[in-house]
Amino acid sequence: MALLRPCPSIPSAPLPLPSSYPNSRNSIFLVRRFPSLVQSSHCRRSLFLPKATAAIDSQATASTVNGQDGLPKLLLEVKDLRAVVAESKQEILKGVNLVVYEGEVHAIMGKNGSGKSTFSKVLVGHPDYEVTSGSIVFKGENLLDMEPEERSLAGLFMSFQSPVEIPGVSNIDFLNMAYNARRRKLGLPELGPIEFYGYIAPKLDLVNMKIDFLNRNVNEGFSGGERKRNEILQLAVLGAELALLDEIDSGLDVDALRDVAKSVNGLLTPKNSVLMITHYLRLLEFIRPTYIHIMDDGKIVRTGDISIAKVLEKEGYKAISAM
Amino acid sequence: MASSAFTSSTFQSTPSIFSPPKIKPTPRLRVRPPKAALSDPFVLQLAETLEDSLSSSSSLSLPPLQKLREISSETLLSLSWPSRKDEPFRFTDTSLIKHSQVQPISNPNPNPDLLEVLEDTHFPKLVFVDGFLVNSLSQLSNLPNGVFVGSVSGITDERIVERVSEIVPMFNGDLFWSLNGVGAPDLVVVYVPEGCSVEGPLHLRYCSVEGSDDGSERLPVSNPRVLVVVEKGGELGIIEEFVGNDREKCYWSNSVTEIVIGEGGKVCHSYIQNQSLRAAHIKWTSVQQESSSAYELTEISTGGKLSRHNLHIQQVGPDTETELSTFHLSAGDQTQDLHSKLVLDHPRGYSRQLHKCIVAHSLGQAVFDGNVKVNRFAQQTDAGQLTRSLLLEPRATVNVKPNLQIIADDVKCSHGAAISDLEEDQLFYFQARGVDLETARKALTFSFGAEVIERLRYPTLRKNVKNHIKQLLDPTPG
Repeated sequence: MALLRPCPSIPSAPLPLPSSYPNSRNSIFLVRRFPSLVQSSHCRRSLFLPKATAAIDSQATASTVNGQDGLPKLLLEVKDLRAVVAESKQEILKGVNLVVYEGEVHAIMGKNGSGKSTFSKVLVGHPDYEVTSGSIVFKGENLLDMEPEERSLAGLFMSFQSPVEIPGVSNIDFLNMAYNARRRKLGLPELGPIEFYGYIAPKLDLVNMKIDFLNRNVNEGFSGGERKRNEILQLAVLGAELALLDEIDSGLDVDALRDVAKSVNGLLTPKNSVLMITHYLRLLEFIRPTYIHIMDDGKIVRTGDISIAKVLEKEGYKAISAM
Repeated sequence: MASSAFTSSTFQSTPSIFSPPKIKPTPRLRVRPPKAALSDPFVLQLAETLEDSLSSSSSLSLPPLQKLREISSETLLSLSWPSRKDEPFRFTDTSLIKHSQVQPISNPNPNPDLLEVLEDTHFPKLVFVDGFLVNSLSQLSNLPNGVFVGSVSGITDERIVERVSEIVPMFNGDLFWSLNGVGAPDLVVVYVPEGCSVEGPLHLRYCSVEGSDDGSERLPVSNPRVLVVVEKGGELGIIEEFVGNDREKCYWSNSVTEIVIGEGGKVCHSYIQNQSLRAAHIKWTSVQQESSSAYELTEISTGGKLSRHNLHIQQVGPDTETELSTFHLSAGDQTQDLHSKLVLDHPRGYSRQLHKCIVAHSLGQAVFDGNVKVNRFAQQTDAGQLTRSLLLEPRATVNVKPNLQIIADDVKCSHGAAISDLEEDQLFYFQARGVDLETARKALTFSFGAEVIERLRYPTLRKNVKNHIKQLLDPTPG
């Protein structure tokens, strides 16, 4: 497969790249420019974004970060991110580097306690964690300067691993509030309950849910599968340029998983990206990632394609650290 | 589950993410030595003033009312005005009343403005103005045959008069109950005969029109009194709504409602207290439940400077069902107090109590004393009680004392108490979906009370209450 993007004069460097590397892009950047650095060739975007791929392949000019010339834009750039638990000051993230371009699907895998969920929570500004150093740039803006709701309005969406119950607030009211917050941000008139109902009713098909789902209180008494579907429904209603799916597959049976994966795939466009956190290959067979990252002890220690997940599934994390 | 004679209350208190609110856990009930039967000059004077104001009323000579006044006068002789040293008033300051010049209202003054406000429900309604039943404002057509609603003086059926006379002495209460008995200008009776079901709720609307301006010593008092009798197999829905005509006026509403539910009868009771924010509101609700009867109460109290609800439910037969849901909101410098007592003396009673309160003002206070007594013969009782309080401002105070007294040994009883600020996880969930913190706080605060509001049976009422609560929690629209 051809180089997706011509590379400026970057010497080939071993992975992972030291964080002090002068170039503004990190290891991922290098990986995709030097496919030979990963164990097997990856078929980037061939499943989801044939058009985008074609456009890129035909480009022979130098790449730009801002995506002029029809190239995919840089969406998220995390550099040497360190974060501690706010209360205990225990360090969880110990220098995470990650770059996501629009249209890409990334997956993060790793042992329990390696920092995967913390990473996604830090991205959306969860108050339980404090960032001690490093930077996160999302769509050219410093994410760390933004409140959680501003991050959401900027196009970042996280599906919670275990979404909280909110008794007394109906699902439709909750979605309506969230949707109107977005409309306000865009300078559009807010939708009243009736108009909103008209907007949302068709979206329910996406997640295969009945209409009475809307009148129930947010996550109250929802089964594991219903909670996950509800998260995806929210994603469908609110839209997002980068969706962080934190263990969207946990607690789901195969049918429910297929439904959820189908709706996620249905939401993917060449413009938006997904970062999923999972333990299992199964999800990755439904939502095909461009890159798989292995996280260990608060860092991304390895990046590759689906084959890495296959090795993992067969031989466990030992095999990965031995690679 | 438990068979101890007394269980003390449990507290779960999550620390506030903002400034820590003041939480005063209360110890167990103390047994106080009985008071010497000495007359309190203030109480006697008050009783006299009330009696004098009624000398002209004609229905007073009727046997049931006479009986009531006799019992009440007698008990008043040995009662003194409550102080903070008396357990039932330990956290509730009644000096607002004591330090005023209490003036009974002798003549109702139906304000024409009132009529407009009254057009909002289509239910049969009974209107009280300053404690007096006003027939011209009431609307009582379409009631089933045999149902009587009105002043005791209007009862033509001797059997009903007899039944009422029989019931009146069955109840008792505290000082305020007796003061009402002495000062009530009338006894309003709602009588539902055996097997009769009253469709659509009966709306009792208590309007307070007379009131003094803030700073004046004068405190006009009204003493409405209602007796509800639902005979065997009868069913009734009632809405009691207390409203102040002027949000700034000072007055004292001292009302008593007594309810008798016959075998297999059902009463669904909605109680909305929306008095002036400077008013004193003292309310008694006493219920007697015969075998297999059901009583359901949903209360929303938001008004009054001092609001106290005494709720007593006595089981007089087995297999009763009791469901109490109450929501108190202190959005201003006010006290909301619920003292509830549920006495179970017979087997297989089922009860559920949910009390929720929000204190959203630094000078606001909420008080809850919830007593459930499971006596010796009340085997296989299933009683549950839960109280949750939300303190939203520094120095906002809540005093809760859930208490179960269990003597029977084969029962299932539970109780719980939680006092907290809003849940951080829930707030973050809103934020993560793009909703700002302030909007999220409002939504969550409102939803806290919504659990109780949703239990109101009637959609129009539910909608009105919701709008009212929203307004109180967020006085600046937008």
